[in-house]
Parts: sequence; C-alpha cells; structure tokens
Amino acid sequence: MHELSMAEAIVETVLDVAKKNDAQEIVEVTIEVGELTMLNPEQVRFLLGVLAEDTLLEDAEIIIEEVPVEIKCRNCEFTGLANTDGSDHYLAIVLCPKCDERNVEILKGRECNVKTIKIEKSDEDA
Amino acid sequence: MHKIAEVEVQHDIMVANRKLARKNQKMLDNNQVYAVDVVGAIGSGKTTLIEALIDAMDHSIGVIAGDVISKYDAGRFEKHEVPVVGLNTGKECHLDAHLVEHAFHDLPLGDIDLLFIENVGNLICPVDFELGSHMRMVVISVTEGDDTVEKHPLIFQDADLVVINKVDLADAVGADSDKMVSDVKEINPDVQVIKTSLKTEKGFDEVMEAIEIFINQD
Repeated sequence: MHELSMAEAIVETVLDVAKKNDAQEIVEVTIEVGELTMLNPEQVRFLLGVLAEDTLLEDAEIIIEEVPVEIKCRNCEFTGLANTDGSDHYLAIVLCPKCDERNVEILKGRECNVKTIKIEKSDEDA
Repeated sequence: MHKIAEVEVQHDIMVANRKLARKNQKMLDNNQVYAVDVVGAIGSGKTTLIEALIDAMDHSIGVIAGDVISKYDAGRFEKHEVPVVGLNTGKECHLDAHLVEHAFHDLPLGDIDLLFIENVGNLICPVDFELGSHMRMVVISVTEGDDTVEKHPLIFQDADLVVINKVDLADAVGADSDKMVSDVKEINPDVQVIKTSLKTEKGFDEVMEAIEIFINQD
C-alpha cells in the first residue's frame, strides 16, 4: 500500500505549484494514473481527501483520469493501445492486440502525473 | 473579485523516482558496481539466498538491506563480513530511489563490485519503484502457494531472473512448482526461471551463473 506516499507527493506538488501561482484556493486537480501502476485510484482519492484537510486543497474537486496501456510490440512492431486481459481486476497482463504476444515495451500506463490544477486568485494578482 | 486560472503542472511522481533511479545507476557505473535488486514475497528466502551468494561468489560484495525494520537482516549480512547498510522503510512497503541514494553515501562503493539491494518483502509495491539497479531478481517460494505468480503478474513482467525457492517443500504444501514456472513464462516468455532449494542447494549454482552472465553482459 503505497498510495499514502503517492498522495503525499501529489499534495506536496499541488500546494507548491499553487503557492508559486499565488492561489487563494485550489478549485480542481487533475491527476493521471496509469493502468499499470500498483495504485488504486479510489484509495488515492480517499487519501488526498484526508491530506487536503486544512490546506488550500481542502475543497478542490479531484479528477482522476486513468491512462490506458500503450505498447510497442517487440514481435510485430505494433504500436498503440494494448489488450489487457485479467479483466476481473485492474492488474493487467499486457498483450499485443495484433499478434497476442506478451513481449512488449510499455510506452504509457505507468504514470502518476499531476496534470493540471485550477486555482482561484484575486484580480489584483491576475 | 476572483478569477479562476488553470495551471499546467505535468509533474509525474513516477518520473521523479525514475530520474533519481537513473542518477543512482550512473553513480554505480562511475564506481564500477553492478547492482541486483532482489524483490520477492515475505519469507521466500531472499536474505538466505543473498547470504549464500555472498559466501559463494568471487566478488567484492556489498548489501543494502531494506525492510520495515532492517536491523534483523542487516545483522545477518554483517556476519558474512561484507559492508551492509540497513534501510528502514518504516510505514512504507518498498524501497525507492531516494532511500537507495542515501544508502550509497554509507557504502564504500569504491571497494565493492557487486551490490545486492534487498527490497521489502512485497510483490506489489516495488513494481512502481525503480532503484537504479542493473537487474531485478524476483524470489518466491512454493510455500506462498502455486497461484502466487498469477496473482502478482506485474512484478514478473519486469523481472530479469526468477527464483522459485523451497521446491523441496512443494509436496508438503501441495504446490505445483512446474505450474509456477509456466505461469511466469506466460507473463514474461524470455525470463530465466530457476527452481531452487537453498536447503539442499538445488539450483543454487544456476542462480549464481545466471547473475554472472548478466554482470558480464553489462
């Protein structure tokens, strides 16, 4: 369970950027979480809520976008979205959709990216 | 009056760790140290395997012993008279590149050529954290059950070498070690999988040879 350390890093990043941009409040945070990370988005969301208390982040809407897996197949050179089996949970085994090979290079799906934040600032600062 | 502004952040927490990991590998390369990240289940025999490798391999070896409380494993390695740094992860379930970088400062990197980094016993969290090692060895044992691989596919996808330990106990615990091998192969077709029993020394030489091949390829 490393969602807590990830959530801490996210909060630190967001508050840092907000401060640098003279935010009075953070309205919205968009985070990208790759399908291949060992992060459960709902746990991340819960922990962000806990860590946000008494900070500029307290009332922000948290948007978590799950990033699907993109691959380059080492067998047939296919590049694009992967097939992921094991659909009963989110721990995907990655397959090439063209040749069904598992020997693939992962291009996307491993990120935990703070993408954007929406902040409220006073007109004088703007 | 207030206005709403959108700020592009694009700060990937994973990338931050990966960057640190690359820095770690550079530091290792500058000191001509080859590093093996040893990950695996709790109680699968990671520490025992590293102890045996320290005794058998013809290298100047150092160890980073990562654990929730690291002094127990670190104490075992110290008995083999090699430089050891214990890393306490406390609440954390994995080592990360930042912790490993700290350990480098306490290791005589100039005096060693092979570094084992023993990760916290866990098949989930270490997947997300590269450390800067040159290879990753995953150690599991039959006593965790022969469905262990199926349940934790991602750690095997990234593995360079897989050890299935305690095969002498397979019958006693009703585990099919061949199934475990084929499960790994399904996820990672090219990886070498070695069945071992550190008690009977079955497969141990093969593990040692496999690591040597990786070192010589580097």
